[in-house]
Amino acid sequence: MKKRLKTLTILFIGIILTSMVTAGCSRDSSSSDEGVYTSVSELSGKRIGVQMGSIFDSVSRENIPDAQILYFSTFPDIVMALKSNKIDAFPNLRMVQTQYMHTDDSVTIIDEEIGRNPAGYVFPKNKKGAALRDQMNEFLQSLTESGELGQIEEKWCEKDESKKTMIDYTELPDINGKLTFLTEGTFPPFSYLREDLVVGYDVDIAARFCKEYGYALDVVMMNFEALMPAVTAGKCDFAASGIAITEERAQSVYFSDPNIYDRIVVVVLKKDTGSGAFFHSMADSFRKTFIVESRYKLFLKGIAATLAINILSIIFGTLLGFAMYMACRNGNPLANKVTEFFVWLIRGMPAVVLLMLLYYVIFGKISISGLAVAVIAFTFTFGVSMYGMLVSGVKAVDPGQTKAGYALGFDDRSTFFHLILPQAAQHFMPAYRGEIVALIKASAIVGYIAVEDLTRMGDIIRSRTYEPFFPIISVAIIYFILAAILTAITDRVIRNIDPKKRTKEEILKGIEIHD
Amino acid sequence: MIEIRHLRKEFESSVPLKDINAVINDGDVIAVIGPSGTGKSTLLNCMNLLERPTSGQILLNGQDITEKDCDISQVRRKMGMVFQSFNLFGHMTAIENVMYAPVKLLGLSRQEAYDRAVELLRMVGLAEKQMNYPDQMSGGQKQRVAIARTLAMDPDIILFDEPTSALDPTMIGEVQSVIRELVRQKKTMMIVTHEMQFARDVSNRVFYMDEGLIYEEGTPEEIFEHPKKEKTIHFMRRLRILEIDISSHSFDFADAVARIDQYCYKNHISPKVNEKLQSVFEELCIQLLMSVLKDPAIHVTIEYDQPQEAVEMAVEYPGNFRIEKARKTLPYAVLTAKSESVVQETLPDGSKSTVKVRIK
Repeated sequence: MKKRLKTLTILFIGIILTSMVTAGCSRDSSSSDEGVYTSVSELSGKRIGVQMGSIFDSVSRENIPDAQILYFSTFPDIVMALKSNKIDAFPNLRMVQTQYMHTDDSVTIIDEEIGRNPAGYVFPKNKKGAALRDQMNEFLQSLTESGELGQIEEKWCEKDESKKTMIDYTELPDINGKLTFLTEGTFPPFSYLREDLVVGYDVDIAARFCKEYGYALDVVMMNFEALMPAVTAGKCDFAASGIAITEERAQSVYFSDPNIYDRIVVVVLKKDTGSGAFFHSMADSFRKTFIVESRYKLFLKGIAATLAINILSIIFGTLLGFAMYMACRNGNPLANKVTEFFVWLIRGMPAVVLLMLLYYVIFGKISISGLAVAVIAFTFTFGVSMYGMLVSGVKAVDPGQTKAGYALGFDDRSTFFHLILPQAAQHFMPAYRGEIVALIKASAIVGYIAVEDLTRMGDIIRSRTYEPFFPIISVAIIYFILAAILTAITDRVIRNIDPKKRTKEEILKGIEIHD
Repeated sequence: MIEIRHLRKEFESSVPLKDINAVINDGDVIAVIGPSGTGKSTLLNCMNLLERPTSGQILLNGQDITEKDCDISQVRRKMGMVFQSFNLFGHMTAIENVMYAPVKLLGLSRQEAYDRAVELLRMVGLAEKQMNYPDQMSGGQKQRVAIARTLAMDPDIILFDEPTSALDPTMIGEVQSVIRELVRQKKTMMIVTHEMQFARDVSNRVFYMDEGLIYEEGTPEEIFEHPKKEKTIHFMRRLRILEIDISSHSFDFADAVARIDQYCYKNHISPKVNEKLQSVFEELCIQLLMSVLKDPAIHVTIEYDQPQEAVEMAVEYPGNFRIEKARKTLPYAVLTAKSESVVQETLPDGSKSTVKVRIK
């Protein structure tokens, strides 16, 4: 443990020093406002970054000849890719890009429109969805007629964050029921997290709508790629996050009329902008990542979620593995067949697929929190590993031990638990510790099913600060610390259950030695 | 008292026990001997149901333990077993190995179990090793702890499954002397063993097993000195006589020497005679005969004459080659120097010769 702490400290100091050196290289961006590319036609054959599952994919293919499309998960990833020269340009919505350029003037927009993005609210394709869509259309109609829609759009494009006010939707009265609204939460100004509350253009209109029609509102954040499947599976009442209205999507969900008809523009780096320009000073990064809007609280929430998922999965997974092993131990053919199939199924599937399968298919029609599904999924994977460890651990114990137990008059159960298992544990405990570390890392994908774990919180913060490195490094360090703590606990357990580590006094506890 | 009736055990590819019938009386020490693979260990394993018999009955004090509703764990507490590979519990010290079952199964207090365990370890000479783990002990020490562990349950009968087969020759004695001590204490025991001298010394009855049966049964003297049935006679002869066949120039010399060595060890032949015997075998058969015979079909018989403490070696080979012809060679010199007498006989038609060597 001490050794590990020392390693961690060295690592941590190393990272900080590196960051400081690179921060020293930073300089103000150039005064030139001209981009590296000035027209869309110059981008022919260049690398274009798009967000997975977004409309920009097809728009780029149509408007930029021979473009090499590279896919990214979140907007901050794309910005980071542009700045680190992994892509040459990326298409974006004017509103989103304007918002971004309030905080960063190293990029610019090519003054050409390559398309329009009619975006709106999506509803599950069922009766309730259709009714809700009609109400929403009616409401959007009234906003358009009164001119309010334009005012809301202007408001969310402001530079000053304090002007972007909206009603507190958490306390809306529940007159006609409660609506669950899914949104990305990392897509300013449409949807983003500000001081513990999801706000933005889409959220603003959704809140006004609920207030007008007497609904209470529950806002849930989810990765953009997972948004449409969640609506299709009926995991919510409606969703929005600048979701473009396309025919393909309209086949699986209902769309409202557009609430925005934004221009699609292409973003490139400004000329003469050194790559160092995006490194901000350490203190500033720290302040933005942890202090502003009390963002450290998000980290704490993320840590709590990650720990909860891991600790519960370890406990339940261990029990599940044991249950499977005990059922199969004496060669019951049915139990063995079932277990074999289950192990084959869980082992053969990437954890993210298992997670989505459970969330959208198995529990598709049941209202269940993402956290619970994550615990179930990782209980399965950990249980299967536990089962494997038990099988090989017990196999490593000489069969003569079992024979000796029987011959002395122990029954099958006590032979296993008192004589075989303590020896098998010595064989599988090192692997068990490894599995725990692997589980902590594997759990970083739960953002796919709307669980706000540590990784997801890092993404959310990045989407606000547009800081490429600092939140990622912070998240990495926190994972290291969590893994170190959990392995330290396991190490302790391993030491405590090692029979050979006992002292003579412990072995002969309660015995008087006469001679 | 244990009564075995028509016990049969079938495996998928073999039938080690065909029809076993026996009565074991209290106080009996039964040595179970016989060639390898004749079901001796299987019989022991069937007696406490570590292996389920295919059919037949085992009556322990009149109770049929092969019945479905018999609590086999209870029965096993009264039948101790000592294994070839000791099977001490690896995660426990010697004292815990001995204490554990009495505490868990007989309800002894830890103090009582400890006191008794110390006493038993003292009996097997290992009281000082009580805090050692099995991997800190030699094979002989482990086996003695295993015997103490079995005794701690105070069984009615102890089954020994080749207790010294996995041991270094130097450690066999210490384990055998513990078993001899148990004989003095009048324990009922059944011992599967390949140590014939030991079997003969400790037992009052001997089971010779072959063909899936207790082929012949009797007192040690009856079985070892005057066996009546064909296979027993053959087995006993093989114990006394070592036969080596050399059929080609590429025969396994190292194996032959190892067999001579083992034969000498089993028959308690002195190392000096053993060394002489090996030299004579090499000089006569390998150096002398194999170099002159075109078709080496040599048959060697070695027999120990215990009262005289001498070994007779007879070497048969085809043809009428006379070894005196080689008297000026080194092999011949060694042969005569190491042996008491060398006599050669040749059949009148000259087809076969025999050299008889006596070594003392």
